[in-house]
Amino acid sequence: MKRLYLPLILFLFVISEGVALELLPPKLVMSDLLIIPHWVLIFLVFVSIFYDKEQTYYSVLYGAIFGLLIDIVYTGVLGVYMFTYALVIYIIHGLKKLLHANIHVTLLLGFIGIVLADLVIYLIFFVIGLTEMPGKDYLIYRVIPTILANLLFLLVLYPFFKKRLIKWSEEQLTNS
Amino acid sequence: MQFFRKKRLFIILIGFIILVALIGFSLGDRKNLSTPEQFIKDTVGWAQSVIHTPVKFAANIFTNIDDLKNTYDENKLLKEKLSQYKGLIYEVQEIKEENEQLRKTLEKTESIRDFNPIQAAVMSRTPERWVEQLTINKGEQDGVKTDMAVITADGMVGKIQTTSEFTSTVQLLTGFDQFNRISATISRKDGKDIFGMIEEFDEETNSLLFKIIEESDKDLKKGELVVSSGMGGVFPAGLLIGTVKEVVPDQYGLTRTALIKPAADMYEINNVIIVDRTLNEAKTDEQEDTE
Repeated sequence: MKRLYLPLILFLFVISEGVALELLPPKLVMSDLLIIPHWVLIFLVFVSIFYDKEQTYYSVLYGAIFGLLIDIVYTGVLGVYMFTYALVIYIIHGLKKLLHANIHVTLLLGFIGIVLADLVIYLIFFVIGLTEMPGKDYLIYRVIPTILANLLFLLVLYPFFKKRLIKWSEEQLTNS
Repeated sequence: MQFFRKKRLFIILIGFIILVALIGFSLGDRKNLSTPEQFIKDTVGWAQSVIHTPVKFAANIFTNIDDLKNTYDENKLLKEKLSQYKGLIYEVQEIKEENEQLRKTLEKTESIRDFNPIQAAVMSRTPERWVEQLTINKGEQDGVKTDMAVITADGMVGKIQTTSEFTSTVQLLTGFDQFNRISATISRKDGKDIFGMIEEFDEETNSLLFKIIEESDKDLKKGELVVSSGMGGVFPAGLLIGTVKEVVPDQYGLTRTALIKPAADMYEINNVIIVDRTLNEAKTDEQEDTE
């Protein structure tokens, strides 16, 4: 039963991303700034840092599954988020072996994750013609606000999930 | 170790191939979603309808406070306008009745203006801002089909892109590209209507591009209303799209393009009406065959 917690939380984030824009003040939404919630990715970064052991790749698997879910529900172009999230989380998983897990490292890895993920998504969308935004505009109007908003979300989430994830990890992964 | 490196590279390559295949599949020429996609969309849609109400409630508290401040002034203005509208309503009713009678005498009861409204509530908006989509809580079971127009009280907001059994996805006007054209018109007296096509949404000027195909474009004024003409065969006539903001020549200088400001607010959409044209397409198809 406890193994279902992670997928359930992730599913909840997928759903709430759809209403995320309504939480922002309308003026911010109507301006040129594009703020994209990457809540699923943030939580996957947590999972990869605190839950996964060196030899387990649950976070990458969840990244692929819930990335596909986002593709189906929100964009209609399959594979983009699935590939991006899985790849980025795989890189994060590799990086976390080099560093100690604390708040600064989590912030750093979260930062790397968001930048990489958004960049890959931009590249794919640019190649298939879904967006025609030039690189400079993309950097100013999308990357910077998105990073700030998501890092804020990461800081809010951090105290809630750090200990819980470590606890679940010990309960579920040590004996298997 | 060598083996693992190769395996890793192999997996990434396979992932990349799957990515390209999936993108190719989803961008290809397909009319509607596959069954698993529909199932997932319906499931997520159901969960969203559960979560949407409390979130909306919390978000509304703040906007409500803002609204309260303006209520007094607005109320004054609206009361004045209301008294003007009363006269108009009477007039419209008279004209409608007369129109119906005249139609009956002509034995032409169906018109491209008629439509059945389907009321729906918006459940979520795509977080990916380059994909301008909404999810609404009515699907095929309620008679929604692809390519139907979607309007709010203010005007047109988009069209149905895909449907599943209980939910459907709306493509907003702001996400329209050259594959989604709307045949539109600016109504004038004496049959001098201006016809054209809404071609795409221009992000730089934040407006729809209205390519005028008639010659009679000389005295286009700012603020004129652009409505759908119903000639495209899918949307009914008379849906308000927007107002003229500016007229510019196109890149060759042969035709002129009007920049249209959409009438409906594209960001605060809560309830929409799906427009089911009564004059069904089968008839227009036959007409096209005979032509």
